[in-house]
Amino acid sequence: MIEVIDLSYTYPDGTTALRDVSLKISDGELVAIMGPNGAGKTTLVKHFNGLLKPSKGKVLVDGVSTDKMTVAELSRKVGFVFQNADHQLFAETVEKEIEFTLKNLGFQENLEELKVKALEEFDLLKYREKSPFSLSGGERKRVALASVLCANPKTIILDEPTAGQDIIQKNNLLELIRRFNSEGKTIVIVSHDIEFIVDLNPRIIVLVSGRVLCDGSVQHVLTNKSILEYSSLTPAQITEFAWRLCEEWTPLPRNIVTVDQLLAALKEHIIGGGL
Amino acid sequence: MSFNIFEAFKYRRKKTFIHSLDPRTKLALALGVSALSIIFTELIVLLIIFLSLVPLLLIAKSIKEWTSTVKGLTLLIVFILFVNIIFNGLSFAISMVLRIFSLITAFSLFFLTVHPDELSQALIQMKIPFSFAFAMSMAIRYVPTIANEAQTIREAQMSRGLELEKGGFTQRIKNFIPIIIPLIVSSIRRAISIAESLESRGFGAYPNRTYLLPLKMRKRDYTVLITLLAAIIISVIIKFVVGLPPLLLLSIPF
Repeated sequence: MIEVIDLSYTYPDGTTALRDVSLKISDGELVAIMGPNGAGKTTLVKHFNGLLKPSKGKVLVDGVSTDKMTVAELSRKVGFVFQNADHQLFAETVEKEIEFTLKNLGFQENLEELKVKALEEFDLLKYREKSPFSLSGGERKRVALASVLCANPKTIILDEPTAGQDIIQKNNLLELIRRFNSEGKTIVIVSHDIEFIVDLNPRIIVLVSGRVLCDGSVQHVLTNKSILEYSSLTPAQITEFAWRLCEEWTPLPRNIVTVDQLLAALKEHIIGGGL
Repeated sequence: MSFNIFEAFKYRRKKTFIHSLDPRTKLALALGVSALSIIFTELIVLLIIFLSLVPLLLIAKSIKEWTSTVKGLTLLIVFILFVNIIFNGLSFAISMVLRIFSLITAFSLFFLTVHPDELSQALIQMKIPFSFAFAMSMAIRYVPTIANEAQTIREAQMSRGLELEKGGFTQRIKNFIPIIIPLIVSSIRRAISIAESLESRGFGAYPNRTYLLPLKMRKRDYTVLITLLAAIIISVIIKFVVGLPPLLLLSIPF
């Protein structure tokens, strides 16, 4: 469980990125953090594994203040996958890339077992002897994911996981996130990708100028016009289509976010005699 | 490790006498002062050189940036101090620290007050080929970008349990490998994409190109240059022809 209590953070150059943020993420939750560039999304999640320490307030991971723990200690509980895979990869082989994390975090007896499990999980067994630099963009992303998640952290933070990924890779990611979440892992995603988030259907926390603007379900947050405008987010295409249908044709519910919901609403409307 | 050293060498837009000087004048000033502080090894002379730079920092309103440069280089300064105390005595050690202070001050004054574009323009007008001048200003332009990237990579590897402060001396150096390699790889990738984007914008398409803002030397530039030249000539004469007066030869007696 992650508890954020009155957290403020000011960078050494004087810019304040977070102002009195309070929130709670329970075990097993799936959470998306959204908001415009510079809203403080990445700054907030960097507090979850201790990369940043609060200027004011507190961040508790499983009840322990992150002040009292090093990043390495917290990394066993909270895995943080950075946006750009190329910022993590350096080893001669994919296998060594995964060993690096496991050795750093002090795994010894079950190192081999965890390594093979991660290679299997991310479909990397056939590349285990290859240099990570020789792989494609999508494959490198998988190596980066495997190199953090091999340590089996209880909480997973993904910073902009879909940036620069094609649709196949996005769908893989979607499936992966759902699977990890169904296994009971807490997942926190920082993202701008509305369609991806709608498919994932997480709890959404919207940050604007370092403050929490709102906190709720996809249906609540992504169909609220004033929230969307205020946080420079665009509605999902289906939501926008439903709104246009409302404006130009016939009344429909205004909180539609998925194709299925729109289809159901249309069926009901037509059968119900609206047409 | 802190990357503030780079930050402190970054150009700041300000309106001061120093900022308004031609970059060639400031380059001459930095090189001239460096030459002087290398010619002399005497404590008092180096102190005078350093102290004469302080008013320039004040005029350029750059004391704060200069302080953070010096802070960033503390380790180097302490290293120079100790090595020299051990091998050459306290007096010489302090002289060497003053020398390094003068060099740092001269060059941070230059980089803090000369915009990278001005620098490349100055080099071009000094008949250095455009592609070299451009490479130079690109190099300066990308220092903060690469410093930022190094910071991100450091955080990414820390999230994989890397502890930089762990282990003995050789281990600590090895700890930097997971940071250095991604940094080199991504810098090479970036260089390739910059080269492609330059080409697609017509870089080098014609042998002669035109410039938006040609630099002009003004009266104040000549004043500074003449003062500098006079200082160098007088110093060289005193050092090599007349000999230093006893007052300037004073040193700490151990």
